[in-house]
Amino acid sequence: MAEDGEAARDLAADAVTIGATLDDAPCGYLAFNDGGTLVAVNRTLRTMLGYERAELVGHSIETILPVGTRIFYHTHFFPLVRMHGHADEVFLLMRGKNGEDLGAITNAVRRQHGDAWITECILMPVHERRKFEDALLRARREAEEARAVAEAERRNVEDANAQLERQALELELQQAHLTEQAEDLRTLNEQLLERTAELERLRGIADHANQAKSDFLAVMSHELRTPLNAIGGYVQLLEMGIHGPVTPAQAEALAKVARSQRHLLSLVNDVLNLARVEAGRVDFTLEAVPMRAIVDAVLPMVEPQLDARHLRFEVRVPPDVVARADRQKLEQILLNLISNAVKFTPPDGTVCVEAGVSADDATYVYLRVGDTGIGIEPDQLAEIFEPFVQVDASRTRRAQGTGLGLTISRDLARGMAGDLTATSTPGEGSTFTLTLPRAD
Amino acid sequence: MTDAVLARNNVKIFGAGTQPMLFAHGFGCDQNMWRYVAPAFADDYKVVLFDYVGSGGSDLAAYDPERYATLSGYADDVLEIIHALDLHDVIFVGHSVSAMIGVLAANREPDRFARLILIGPSPRYINDPPEYAGGFERADIEGLLEMMDRNFIGWANFLAPVIMKNADRPELGQELEQSFCSTDPVIARRFAEATFFSDNRADLPRMHVPTLVLQCTDDAIAPDAVGEYVSRTLPNAKLQHMRATGHCPHMSHPEETIALMREFLVRGP
Repeated sequence: MAEDGEAARDLAADAVTIGATLDDAPCGYLAFNDGGTLVAVNRTLRTMLGYERAELVGHSIETILPVGTRIFYHTHFFPLVRMHGHADEVFLLMRGKNGEDLGAITNAVRRQHGDAWITECILMPVHERRKFEDALLRARREAEEARAVAEAERRNVEDANAQLERQALELELQQAHLTEQAEDLRTLNEQLLERTAELERLRGIADHANQAKSDFLAVMSHELRTPLNAIGGYVQLLEMGIHGPVTPAQAEALAKVARSQRHLLSLVNDVLNLARVEAGRVDFTLEAVPMRAIVDAVLPMVEPQLDARHLRFEVRVPPDVVARADRQKLEQILLNLISNAVKFTPPDGTVCVEAGVSADDATYVYLRVGDTGIGIEPDQLAEIFEPFVQVDASRTRRAQGTGLGLTISRDLARGMAGDLTATSTPGEGSTFTLTLPRAD
Repeated sequence: MTDAVLARNNVKIFGAGTQPMLFAHGFGCDQNMWRYVAPAFADDYKVVLFDYVGSGGSDLAAYDPERYATLSGYADDVLEIIHALDLHDVIFVGHSVSAMIGVLAANREPDRFARLILIGPSPRYINDPPEYAGGFERADIEGLLEMMDRNFIGWANFLAPVIMKNADRPELGQELEQSFCSTDPVIARRFAEATFFSDNRADLPRMHVPTLVLQCTDDAIAPDAVGEYVSRTLPNAKLQHMRATGHCPHMSHPEETIALMREFLVRGP
């Protein structure tokens, strides 16, 4: 681009003077003024770039520079030359007329030619160097990328480490907690074992004591029964007059002795029974037993007592209520329950026997004996199944019995996988309920 | 703090006047570029020269990649120098990218500035069709960056032998080191990116300080259309076309540059 024409011509003339000797030099040569206008381009460079002289001289140096190099020229190359008067070994990418880029190492000097300042450049085309530099730049970029990747990796690993450390810490805390809990459990377990051992020991003592008691009762009952039988036998013989005539007064006395002997024998028998049951020496023969059959078997034994006290006897036992039980034991229990009812029910009262399938569990049947007797106080209800308990002294006097009947009955019921319970309203009557497994 | 800033930015002060003229160099250079223009104002003004951090004789250790990722960080440099020297009624002279750095600084503290002289300003170098032609495509900037990369390689690989061969001229090594704005290729590359990928068009309409835009003939970096855009968009600017060609009239045509600046300062916009 020409400045004012005269100056440009002068510059061109100067440059031609300088450039003439360099026209066929084996390197590129160009010259430009401070305004960036080319004043000389040697043949070697023109050939490399594919331009005629007229296309370059008088035109801007930008003509042979790609855009990136133009910026570089204005921001780096020209200021460098202008400030220092020269530039050494600067790489410049140039653009040929056909659009192909040409890299060149450039050495430049800025000198005064007449009135003008001219920058002259020697350009050495670099092909091999460029390839080398490409590889170098690529390697540097790859290294930077690799470093960035490695850095990211390192950060990831650090993050993962930190997380692992946090988790390890949590696990340690949990482990400590678990260890504490395990310790607690071990302590608890030890305490339980101690308790169990203690209970075992106590049960052993209790069992032993119970066994001793049962053994004692069995022996004593036997030892008592033998003389009692002897007493009974001899009293009978006396009553029968085997040993001589008996006066009415003697007969009365003998009757009293006989009655006392029977009572005492019955007491001893009950004690013996209880001892046998509690010592586990009772065998049960379990079979399907219709409740009705039991009632029918027991009824003849209790009818005299019922009649004697003018008691009404009601039976509501369907024939299809069948228990799995020991027939004999069942009769013994029912007899005991009806006897009790009779004992504690005033004349003209009612004794009722009923049976059915348990409402709350159809695998059980029940047999219930109710009366309209004196009843039992609630606080005494729990005690009536204990041995030798009758509800009060006055009743004991009125009612005959050892006080072992209910104890034996409940033990027998439980021995057949059933139970015996009682409910009562004082003054209105009591109800005893025997439950037993249902026969299927 | 004052001394720290002055050392960091290699601040130089001279001149007989009182009103400060703050000269801000462009990308690729340092304060030496004002060598042919600044002394002309020394009789009437207080001339303040400086190097941006990462350029010239600045403290490279003060370079903070985040701060200088955008031109805003460079505007911070300018304002910190103004505060450090407690400058008022500043005449800011900015070349190339520094023109926009001056606009950013003036927008932030307009009261400090009396005049702005913008040499070859461009608020955006990359084209933004259809309305705006900055003169460049992204690929062109990549070309510049490649050129810079190659010349940094050059220094590392065979400028050392050149210096070695001139062992009798030790000053040559230092001179070469100061040849370009920065000997650190990473900083230079970041400055190039901060410069050429910037878009500060929106900052122009808010800047009301009286401004002179100096527009070279055939400026490949800041074409005529861009200079016209800048002076049209600034509320209080005068566009002055120069006979000087290229992008660095203060180096290539200092007399014309001085004359136009003086005329503006004396006669106003």
